[in-house]
Amino acid sequence: MRRTLLAAALAAFASPAAAQRLAADVDCKPARQALVYDCRIALKEAASRKPVAGADVSVGADMPSMPMAHNVKPVKAAPTNQPGEYTARIELEMHGEWALKLNVRSPVRDVIVKKIDFRERP
Amino acid sequence: MDEYALGVLTNVGLFSFLALSAYLLLVAGEMSFGQQAFFGVGAYAAGIGTAMWGWPLPVAALGAMALGAAAAWLVGWPTLRLRGLYFAMATLAAAEMFRILFELFHYQRTIDGELVGPDGTQGFRGIRWVLERGIEQETFLAAVWALLLVVLAAFAIVERTRLGATLRMVGEDPELAAVLGVNVARVKLGVAAAAGALAALGGALYAHHNTYVEPRNFDIMLGVHSLAYALIGGLGTALGPLLGVALDIGLLESTRVFQGYRMIVFGGLVALLLIVRPRGLLDEVAVSRIAGALRRRRTA
Repeated sequence: MRRTLLAAALAAFASPAAAQRLAADVDCKPARQALVYDCRIALKEAASRKPVAGADVSVGADMPSMPMAHNVKPVKAAPTNQPGEYTARIELEMHGEWALKLNVRSPVRDVIVKKIDFRERP
Repeated sequence: MDEYALGVLTNVGLFSFLALSAYLLLVAGEMSFGQQAFFGVGAYAAGIGTAMWGWPLPVAALGAMALGAAAAWLVGWPTLRLRGLYFAMATLAAAEMFRILFELFHYQRTIDGELVGPDGTQGFRGIRWVLERGIEQETFLAAVWALLLVVLAAFAIVERTRLGATLRMVGEDPELAAVLGVNVARVKLGVAAAAGALAALGGALYAHHNTYVEPRNFDIMLGVHSLAYALIGGLGTALGPLLGVALDIGLLESTRVFQGYRMIVFGGLVALLLIVRPRGLLDEVAVSRIAGALRRRRTA
């Protein structure tokens, strides 16, 4: 605990490491079950737009007006055979606007937030 | 510990700052539905400090606390003349004004080829200070809880001083406190500013945990929850609001099977508790009984 806090204190005033920023295109389509969506994520480097393959990505979601109450437990995204493309199945609690949170752990650490309006099927 | 458990524990810590902010005002006899506004002020101010001006998070958090205190003082100055329900409604209206101000707030700068900063209803993305320093989720969680322990220790110290007794007296019988020479208006304004600073600290950390905030994060729902945390947990000790947050988030997480209907459980719990225990689980009587039992065990 003491070591963890010391690390936090040192990091607080250290200069930042050159962190690479990532970007993502997300497209979510409804699955057969109600409120279940299959999301395809195209992960790329923000600057060069090169696809990022072999990433460790998890996908969660919050409802912006109730982040502590309505949220989706993060699920790990699986790679497809397209470079830099991943899929994840998420199950929402209700329709409406959600902030999809892509938590990338490797090859670089980043968090990408995309706002998506999940509407009820007509 | 997995990512989900870390996220839940971090959220319990972060929302505890907001719950303690509402608790502080409740102890001073005021019910505020507007503490989420200062949580938002803290989130935006600290985010601008680190992401746009390159400040270290501790400096940005201190600046956010100062701004949160100033904003709460400004809201408290006219509204604390009101009593009971009128004050509660005024704080709610003030919080909505802040939320609309966040929606109108556009201030962006290009950093590393990317636009960063508040963009009205589109929110404020790219609060990456924690990521850029390679701070792991576990380390951030430890820092949040360490800060929370410092705040709890400060509450415990204040409760044992003359100031603590004055706060309780002002909360329970302001007329009697005034007769005894206490400047009730000044005490309440000081409490409002301190509560604003505390909420802003929570907001500053929340923004850096989430990397993204938007005006709707700080709407009435958060205000209702912050008050409910303090009322469920109890007004007898500063540990009450923490118990309230843990019970609320714990209950919501453990009833995922009910999906969106979980909020009905939460609403029902608040209603039931307010009937059975109007001052919460750890109210003054319960705390006094626990303290007595501990004293007896020590002397036995």
